[in-house]
Amino acid sequence: MRLARQAALAVIGFAFLRAPANAQPLQYRVSLVDEGTYYRLNNASPFNPGNTVVPQATWGNVGNTGLYLGSGVLSTLLGFTATSGDISLPRYDFAVRELALDVSLGEALDLVVGKKILKWGTGYAFNPTGVVEPQRSPSDPSDRLNQNDGRNLVSLTAFFGKTSLTAVYLNDARYANSSLQWGKNELALRAYSFLGGLDISLIGHYSEGDRLELGANSSYVIGDNLELHGEILGKKGSSALFHPIVSSDNPGQIFDSYPYVPLYADSREIFLKTLLGGQYTLENGLNLALEYYHNAEGLSVQEWKRWMNFVKFQDAVQSGAVPVSPDLIVPSRMNLLWSLLTLSTRGTMRDYLFARGAYSDDTWGCEVIFFMNANDQSIVAIPTLTWKAGVSLSFYLRYAAYSGRDGSEFGSLFTTCSITLGLGVQL
Amino acid sequence: MNPLFKSTVLFLLAAAAASPAPSQTSTPAARSVPDPGKLLARSDLSRNGWESYEVVTVIKNYVDGELKEEGSFDTSIKGDDRTLVKFLNADVKGQYLLMLEDAMWIYMPNTRKPIRITPLQRLLGNASNGDVARTRYAGDYKASLKGEETVDGVECYVLDLAAQREGATYNRVELWVRRVDARPKKAEIYLSSGKHYKTIFYDAFSTVHDRLLLTQMTILDRLREGSKTIMTFSGYTPKEIPEKYFNKDYLEKLR
Repeated sequence: MRLARQAALAVIGFAFLRAPANAQPLQYRVSLVDEGTYYRLNNASPFNPGNTVVPQATWGNVGNTGLYLGSGVLSTLLGFTATSGDISLPRYDFAVRELALDVSLGEALDLVVGKKILKWGTGYAFNPTGVVEPQRSPSDPSDRLNQNDGRNLVSLTAFFGKTSLTAVYLNDARYANSSLQWGKNELALRAYSFLGGLDISLIGHYSEGDRLELGANSSYVIGDNLELHGEILGKKGSSALFHPIVSSDNPGQIFDSYPYVPLYADSREIFLKTLLGGQYTLENGLNLALEYYHNAEGLSVQEWKRWMNFVKFQDAVQSGAVPVSPDLIVPSRMNLLWSLLTLSTRGTMRDYLFARGAYSDDTWGCEVIFFMNANDQSIVAIPTLTWKAGVSLSFYLRYAAYSGRDGSEFGSLFTTCSITLGLGVQL
Repeated sequence: MNPLFKSTVLFLLAAAAASPAPSQTSTPAARSVPDPGKLLARSDLSRNGWESYEVVTVIKNYVDGELKEEGSFDTSIKGDDRTLVKFLNADVKGQYLLMLEDAMWIYMPNTRKPIRITPLQRLLGNASNGDVARTRYAGDYKASLKGEETVDGVECYVLDLAAQREGATYNRVELWVRRVDARPKKAEIYLSSGKHYKTIFYDAFSTVHDRLLLTQMTILDRLREGSKTIMTFSGYTPKEIPEKYFNKDYLEKLR
């Protein structure tokens, strides 16, 4: 793998040499988003009973400025984020989200070197074949706060008419403590083609120390109104980390060290992630989208129940409802905190439904998102109303409601609802 | 009855019977019948002067006479079935629309992902994606000659166009083309449900590089009365555009 890194560095040098000296006019985009949110806390959340385990803000403000600059072969996306709230001091973060050289090596060959956001999936809310993509949240698929970061990569793409072949080397190396710290080496390949109206990609991905993943995605349009898409990704075994409690029927345990392990690393089982979706546009412009996502690496209903019972046991220890030796109180609290690592913004269980309706005219825009856990029927509903005050200025009102029965995924989260007032500026 | 009045009425009735009303369709049997497919191909030439070219499109949308929305687009067209549209407005800067054969994608810089869309989806005002991207009707529709008609004093052939491929923007179009040079004059658009959807007037043409090309068209939305969209075309430039620009994978590389 040292060879791969050296090769990557050599390609970076080559890209600089190939970069033409005559710079094209500077292109820029500026986006500014600022939003204030009021949160109604879920004091019955088993993850955070009475808001005592991980104290949550009841209001907060996030401001983000994104600046895209591109000239010739060089482009960058810079992000500046300011956050504040009622339980923490204001925080300011600056990030280079993208910085890449994009060099054409002739009519049909392109080289990209640097930090860049690539997206390979066809899904709207879920992207199982997005093996080179930053993490995405189904409750905010459009990344309205510009939080997505690029990845360090060297990418070579060959174009043959309606077909392209891409090879990408990735390494999430970072500079820390005065030295460059290399991450895992990853290699991804994609063959894309447009055949008979069908968009189709075949994808392979290997991450150092993990199993090879293979997948495909596709999209197709039928008639004037209907678009269908699908993705599938599979690998033998899973390197995902699981809390061992998911395979135990005894929730009354307190682990004395970080418990997460790759339970299925040596499994011969094929773990599939699949997505089926479509969108339909009515004659009046109303766009409806629906997606179903299955993730075999998520928790089954039984595994979720075991884990939830474990969480509730730790709650009971913390509240004194279950008496334990005093020297176990702090470890139990650590167990409660560790248990939160099981939660994922992309869904923790196996089956999810996503629905979206959107309509906009010259002045108003309206969007409603439903994100439902199909295993426990808990749901997140997010209606957003946007007023376009001008070509570059808009205001929006966004409401998010989380509901579900006791012990369900979205019914157990830290908040029951939130209301956001925001403004967006595009220049 | 006054004999003068009687003879005047009889003369007018006879004249009316002898000549058709200006807006009424007549059959072209008396003249040589032009090939509708060739007429349509000639009509396309007034929007497509070259095999590969660029044009700037400005769309203005009016509701009850008031300007509500305005957008500018750089359009690159190659051959019959490849179009790349760059959005120039500040709020959609970096956005692209790609048409390849029967398919269309929209690429938005914030999502970094091309999304499959349909030609009928609204681009701006009453203009559909296809109104900007699909400029050649000859490949998209099967034409039949419906008759002849005079529109605003201009003699026209009336073509009935039925969609013959998936990517055609509309299901059915009635197109009036000038008898003299086949330039389009007017179009009536119908949805697959049979609803009358739009009326398009091809308002103005200018000579660019020795070719008479469309420079303005007006779209009236028949489902939303009072809504009018004016599209103007300028800066026609013949240009060799690299093939890879029309590959979906290349969208993320465009600035």
